[in-house]
Amino acid sequence: MIDIQNVSKSYGAVPVLQDCSLSVKRGEVVVVCGPSGSGKSTLIKCVNGLEPYQSGSIKVAGVEVGARHTNLPKLRAKIGMVFQSFELYPHLCALENVMLAQIHVLRRSRDEARTRAMALLTRVGLAERAHQMPADLSGGQQQRVAIARTLALDPDAILLDEPTSALDPEMVSEVLDVITALARDGMTMMVVTHEMGFARRVADRVIFMDQGRVVEDAAAETFFAAPASARAREFLSKILAH
Amino acid sequence: MHDVIFVNRDFLAAGLLATLQISAISIVCGTLIGAVVALLRYLRVPFAARFCALYVGLIQGAPLLVVLLFCYFALPALFGYKTTAYWATVLSFSVFIGAYLAEDIRAGLQSVSPKLTQAALACGLTMPQVLRLVVLPIGVRSVIPPIISQYVRLIKFTSVASIISVQELTGNALLVNARVFEPATILSFVAIVYLIVCQAVSLFGRWLNARFAVRT
Repeated sequence: MIDIQNVSKSYGAVPVLQDCSLSVKRGEVVVVCGPSGSGKSTLIKCVNGLEPYQSGSIKVAGVEVGARHTNLPKLRAKIGMVFQSFELYPHLCALENVMLAQIHVLRRSRDEARTRAMALLTRVGLAERAHQMPADLSGGQQQRVAIARTLALDPDAILLDEPTSALDPEMVSEVLDVITALARDGMTMMVVTHEMGFARRVADRVIFMDQGRVVEDAAAETFFAAPASARAREFLSKILAH
Repeated sequence: MHDVIFVNRDFLAAGLLATLQISAISIVCGTLIGAVVALLRYLRVPFAARFCALYVGLIQGAPLLVVLLFCYFALPALFGYKTTAYWATVLSFSVFIGAYLAEDIRAGLQSVSPKLTQAALACGLTMPQVLRLVVLPIGVRSVIPPIISQYVRLIKFTSVASIISVQELTGNALLVNARVFEPATILSFVAIVYLIVCQAVSLFGRWLNARFAVRT
């Protein structure tokens, strides 16, 4: 589904990604973790072409993301993305947020888009909030609307960039529950997260990154039971200790 | 003492009507100019963005009266066309207010976070769609108050057109005064009319802002 081969990227002389390779198969949930500044978010943004990369190759469903002739809007409609800071359209209510791309990207009728949006808001537990503006929703609710907005395009895969990092602690679980349910339904996902408990529960594989490199790529059980690299062991002991 | 207003009511009303007309046309044209210039500069369109920056800089450094006289006398002479005081006024005011509106609108566009733009792109919207559906509506809504105050300024500026004998409110009032010489009455009346019109526009702006401003 997603195939990343030897991708490198730098800002000027500063390398942010060095020779990164990984792949995500259909139906697989891959968690990307690592210390801040390790390039996780940058890598995930390369996958849908929000960040350009200088060398290597990223293929999504066989389409080369970095190729000049690639229709990026079309490709992006097939892989959803959920951001750390939600990024709902502040001038539209929850329902319209979920409708917008359906109407303008998939060319669905307003009625069809509304029906679908309502169904998705119900699925994330926000049917009664459909007509509220983002500013009137809590962080957890906004993030669930953002997930519904992504699902509305019937994506083949979803990229989640630290979906719970900007949330108050008591709201983390409501968002993780929605993501977990998606994983159970077989959605292909690539998730950047620091929530190791969540990673342990839903991840098929864990990618550990450090200083722009993929240091470890292992099955979830293996990674948590016996991380191969010293750097990953150190990271896990720090993050699990508190 | 107020007879002078009553006796000349039709003439003064015609002046007010012209003032409103000139203001309305200039506001529409100026807003279009402002939006286009703001977009070109926001998108940093090569060449066009520089040209727009030059336009804004020139206008911001020029007195309104000079721009007006330039449009009335200099442009027709330079390009060999005929104009009327009325249309020279509309042209100069549109161009004048357009530069200021461009800066206000551009500030609004730039206030839309790049992350939100990214999120919209990530949903599969094309860049033109992102501009039309996300950046413009949010950007413009965030600068309703400064835009409305430019409109109010423009309405007051129209009195300057009396210099080139446009028959708007101030011009007609001065003509009445020239006949009867009751400046205190006539100019007080004119001032009150401007005040009412400007207050009405301001109130409308406040309503617009309360209704449409984006809360984050």
